[in-house]
Amino acid sequence: MEITTSELGLAARVTHLTKTYGSGDGAVRALDDVSVGIRQGEFTAIMGPSGSGKSTLMHIMAGLDDPTSGRAWIGDTEITGLGDRDLTLLRRRRVGFVFQSFNLVPTLDVRANILLPFDLDGRRPTVAESERIRNLVAALGLEERLSHRPHELSGGQQQRVAIVRALATGPDLIFADEPTGNLDSRTGREVLELLQAASRDRGQCIAMVTHDPIAASHADRVLFLGDGRVVADKPRQTPEEISAHMLRTEQAAA
Amino acid sequence: MSGISERLVFLRERGMGASVLVAALSSAFGVVLLATTGYIGFLATTSLGDGGTVVMMVALLSAIFIIIAMYVGAIVTANTFSTIVAGRTRQIALLRLIGATARSERRRVASQGLVVGILGAVVGLAAGTLIAVVGTRIAGDAIGAPAYDAPIQPWMLIPPVAVVLTTWAAAWGGSRRVLSVTPREALGGSVERTHEEVGRRRARNGIAIVLGLLGALLLIGGVLAGLMTPLGVVIAFLGGLLSFTALVLGAAGIMPGILRLVGRAFGGSATSRMAAENALRYPERSSRMAIGVVVGVTLVTMFAVASETVKSVVLEGFTASEAEELGFAAFLDGFSAIMMGLVAFSAVIAAVGLVNLLTIGVVQRRTELGLLRALGLSGGQIRRMVLLEAAHITIASTLFGLVLGTVYGWAGAQSTLGSVGTGGVLVLPAVPWLPIAIVVAAMAILTLLAAVAPTRLATRISPVEALAVT
Repeated sequence: MEITTSELGLAARVTHLTKTYGSGDGAVRALDDVSVGIRQGEFTAIMGPSGSGKSTLMHIMAGLDDPTSGRAWIGDTEITGLGDRDLTLLRRRRVGFVFQSFNLVPTLDVRANILLPFDLDGRRPTVAESERIRNLVAALGLEERLSHRPHELSGGQQQRVAIVRALATGPDLIFADEPTGNLDSRTGREVLELLQAASRDRGQCIAMVTHDPIAASHADRVLFLGDGRVVADKPRQTPEEISAHMLRTEQAAA
Repeated sequence: MSGISERLVFLRERGMGASVLVAALSSAFGVVLLATTGYIGFLATTSLGDGGTVVMMVALLSAIFIIIAMYVGAIVTANTFSTIVAGRTRQIALLRLIGATARSERRRVASQGLVVGILGAVVGLAAGTLIAVVGTRIAGDAIGAPAYDAPIQPWMLIPPVAVVLTTWAAAWGGSRRVLSVTPREALGGSVERTHEEVGRRRARNGIAIVLGLLGALLLIGGVLAGLMTPLGVVIAFLGGLLSFTALVLGAAGIMPGILRLVGRAFGGSATSRMAAENALRYPERSSRMAIGVVVGVTLVTMFAVASETVKSVVLEGFTASEAEELGFAAFLDGFSAIMMGLVAFSAVIAAVGLVNLLTIGVVQRRTELGLLRALGLSGGQIRRMVLLEAAHITIASTLFGLVLGTVYGWAGAQSTLGSVGTGGVLVLPAVPWLPIAIVVAAMAILTLLAAVAPTRLATRISPVEALAVT
């Protein structure tokens, strides 16, 4: 019998993942036989320069894109080969997202944006979920903002709303795609500390794609990607160590 | 050669095709109506010897219908261009950054309107002329009239030329927003503009209120005067004209309220709320779009209610067989059916605009739809949302148009017939169910049709592409 993802202590994993864009001479291999797992309860950073395949990896892991070959699981559910409807339900119920920009629906107020995953599912939050949302909103200082529209919020506030929304359903894991890319460094640090706290205090599993060494230094584990492969897998690193590693790989490539 | 095709490449942009279609429809409609007028004049002259009065009447009616169709067409085109310009903000900002002036950019948009107008007008002229030539021949054979040797007349060029000019003007009017694009908008910060500029609206609303009040007073005055003389209808007509112009001018002040009311009836689920909010996201755009449909529904309803009311009053006291003998009801039904058909044409033009608006709306909301797909909005929910969005505008417009049409139709009948017999007769509005049912059914079909293209686009959006940082 095949060993399951959760028995391995993983929230998500991929095996022998390959993604090719285009065909013939113009074909680009974005991912080249990648096998990796995201551990439960951990904050993992996926690092790499532009074009290293880190975004593609995240998109496939989150059920937003199909691999050319290989398999992917979220929890014990194999997502490769799932139809659009099942993938949609899976994202809605078991995955949280924080994007770089444009995280919120501009026509809905903050409250409706936070409750969107429940609303799309046609249900109200349970008592426990409501409690969690209330605590998060209070902790992130958003109580006064619940009836505001996104354009009335600062970039940092918008990102915090997105984090509340991602945490609200208690998903198997949260994918954060350059969550600090559009923020000034102080606000960015606050957002990173929030993610770090969610992982540390609530055991929330988070996978964050970034090319910023300071952002990656907040993670428990740093995966380095280069040319579509995982080139290093390290525990928590200082920004200096991460930068040094990045420089070395860049220079080796040149 | 390549220079020309390069300059015409803008025609592939979403919305341009629809604008050409609108211009072609208006132009063909005008040509066919004028040709019909000419033919009726010819028939009248050959059979009655002199057709002066008949031709005058028909020409007047034709002119009114052509003007209505072109007016609706101009609203639709102006709306389409302002929507296209909103979608081009980044590109315009980039050109401004490089050094283009706002005025030259606006002139460029207007000249694209000119090209669209010329293309549409020529297509419409060709189609209209063909219909006129074939139509008069068929009609002549059917009624055994003498051969009509002049189906093509130089004055049939009037509608196409007018269409070119109105389309040009509409593109100029719709491109006002170009002036407010700053070069800074080309640089990062993809903050979406949620609210359109409100500044100029004040003045326009002021004029609308004055016209509206004046129109309402004249309408009431016409109805009161109608209690003594049938000439009351002239006063009421003037009142109707003014108050309706006021409604069109003040659309952006009136329609959002109605749209909001209808939106509330959709319920509180996220998809219905988003659908309702989408229709209100650009209140000016949606209002102008809706008012095009309102014009069509109002006019159709007005003719239906007026003729039914007149019929019920005039035929009061006659038995059914006596009435039939008079042939009055049949004549009135036929006449109002033709009138309704002709005004319904403007609703077709408005429908093209509605489809276009919804489609561009989806294209311009790509990122947002991608986000929603990522968060778990299913294909079925997207379909529901787009359909509700279309229904939102058609339901609001239909309800408003039905109410307005009933009031105008009644006012027309009342002011004409109030003085019948001893005078001081109060007429109750009679609402014929068949035309109303047809209007409602047509609007339901329009809703479904309008949702097809945008739904297909929306369900095809891949979250990965849509969310890729631009």
